[in-house]
Amino acid sequence: MSYLKLILKNPFRNKTRGALAIVGIAIGIMVIVALGMVTGGLKQSTTSTLKAGAAEINVMQTGSGNFGSGRINETRVADIQSISGVKETAGLLKATNTSTSGSSVSTGSTGTSTGTGTTSAGSGGSGSFGGFSVTGMDPSKLNLAGIENVTGSLYSSTSENEVIIGKTASTDLNKSVGDTINLFGKDFTITGVYETGSFMTDGGVFMSLTTLQNLTSNNNTVSTIAVKINEDANTTEVSKSIETAYPNELSTTTAEAMAGRMNSALSTIDAASWAISLLAIIIGGVGVINTMIMSVFERTREIGVLKAVGWKERRILGMILGESVVLTIIAAVVGTIIAVVGVVTLLAFSFGGTIQPSFAPEIFLEAFVVAFAVGIIGGLYPAYRASRLSPTEALRYE
Amino acid sequence: MDNGKNIIEIRGLKKSYDDGTIKALNGLNLEVKEGEFVSIMGPSGSGKSTLLNMIGALDIADEGTIEVAGIDLMKTSQLNEFRSKEIGFVFQMHNLIPNLSVLENVEIPMYETDLSSKQMKDRAMELLKAVGLEDRADQIPTKLSGGQRQRVAIARALVNRPSIILADEPTGSLDSQTGDVILKLLRDLHEKENVTLVMITHEPYVGNMAERIVNVLDGKIQN
Repeated sequence: MSYLKLILKNPFRNKTRGALAIVGIAIGIMVIVALGMVTGGLKQSTTSTLKAGAAEINVMQTGSGNFGSGRINETRVADIQSISGVKETAGLLKATNTSTSGSSVSTGSTGTSTGTGTTSAGSGGSGSFGGFSVTGMDPSKLNLAGIENVTGSLYSSTSENEVIIGKTASTDLNKSVGDTINLFGKDFTITGVYETGSFMTDGGVFMSLTTLQNLTSNNNTVSTIAVKINEDANTTEVSKSIETAYPNELSTTTAEAMAGRMNSALSTIDAASWAISLLAIIIGGVGVINTMIMSVFERTREIGVLKAVGWKERRILGMILGESVVLTIIAAVVGTIIAVVGVVTLLAFSFGGTIQPSFAPEIFLEAFVVAFAVGIIGGLYPAYRASRLSPTEALRYE
Repeated sequence: MDNGKNIIEIRGLKKSYDDGTIKALNGLNLEVKEGEFVSIMGPSGSGKSTLLNMIGALDIADEGTIEVAGIDLMKTSQLNEFRSKEIGFVFQMHNLIPNLSVLENVEIPMYETDLSSKQMKDRAMELLKAVGLEDRADQIPTKLSGGQRQRVAIARALVNRPSIILADEPTGSLDSQTGDVILKLLRDLHEKENVTLVMITHEPYVGNMAERIVNVLDGKIQN
């Protein structure tokens, strides 16, 4: 039998105690992995949203509070185009469909939204975060909403019965190109499927602006205006120019500011998750120390025998440390499996699949590094104690 | 057997405990020839076990000299290596590791050697065959009788081909019939392997099986 096999075998001499130690650490590892997967998923989505949002500035009605709930006269789309530094503008109308199969209707006035102004969420419905969002937009300007690639084809600007659907919504509703979807009581043919990487944008549909305006009785009105600026223009200056030109009417949000807000929020989540993880690690670590100390106590005479047959102190130290690490690495495997299954299941059922968990290798690496460290730190004192035992005293131990 | 050469030489060995209150060894002198079978006898607390611990380098004396297998135990820092190469211990309570198989228990002392896993296994099986337990190699010690466990402990003690076997009351926890079997086995292996055997016992019948009896009283040799 090899030394390694002995180390693998020893932690399970007392199966209940070994299992309890594993459970303690596994909970900590599970927390680390689960929070890592969720926050990582949110970060990926945020990054995609910002990358996808080709528009650097979003214009909304002053006092509307959030994207999609305000009303702007459509003529402002052309007006803003003429402001210095502005390269391109596009009006977006957002609405929320409360059912994808029935005829119930709600307009964008009930929605809440974040992101670059490409989607909204309202009450009820399925297929998106809290509601099924529908956005009206000129198909030639879809790049301003971050939509670059569409599988299938785009709707035409005058089409009254065509939409393109986000990948997440497509999966959730089991709809693909050529299928029909009922929105606001009217059947639409899906002509294409798009993917931006933003969980909110990908959870809805886009259709002709005119068609959505007619359907929701919002003629000549848009919710937001997406603004792309010239390469040599300054985002802040153009934003100020827009607000100055239409005081008390239009407000702006830059993608940069939004990124800052999102990063700030994610940093808070990160800090919270680290605090929870640290607590879990400390509790688990104490569990490991307790388990290993008990194990050393119980095996005092046995350690005396090992010394009597010539084992060096470092071999005994290595054995106890190894056993401690074996416990925590098994706990890491168990905790990781539970976290992956739990997070995937939770996100699939709780948020309609709109938040994709992150499987970044660093999350799992971090969990295993933490487990290894807890194993070493937790096992250090018991191992040192075992290695320093006097052989005669150990052999006399009852 | 070279009866002329001392394998153990002890001069004026002293060991006390509890800040000198208990004098376990009080200027003890002893010589044991290579290949000799010596019984150490004496009442409880006379210093027998302390003497055995000193010979086996499990403990260090306060004063005196002790040379075992040519190594000055008062000076060397390689006590683990000395125990691994030169000494085989047989304890009264056999002290086998309960979660390891019989074979694995016998392999344990070989971890500090350069032997491969296969070589370790072959050597352990050789010893188990010598003690008549080759068919129990895969069993755990709790499935064995007291006598069988002590035979495993003897195999473990011999596995590294030590110069000296130190046996501390090896029959103390066995019935007389099983004790006889163990004593015969120890004596046979001592002769076959040409290993020096130093055995502690308080039973005259057991002590008389040795070639020489050494009586210890108050931390000194009496005869």
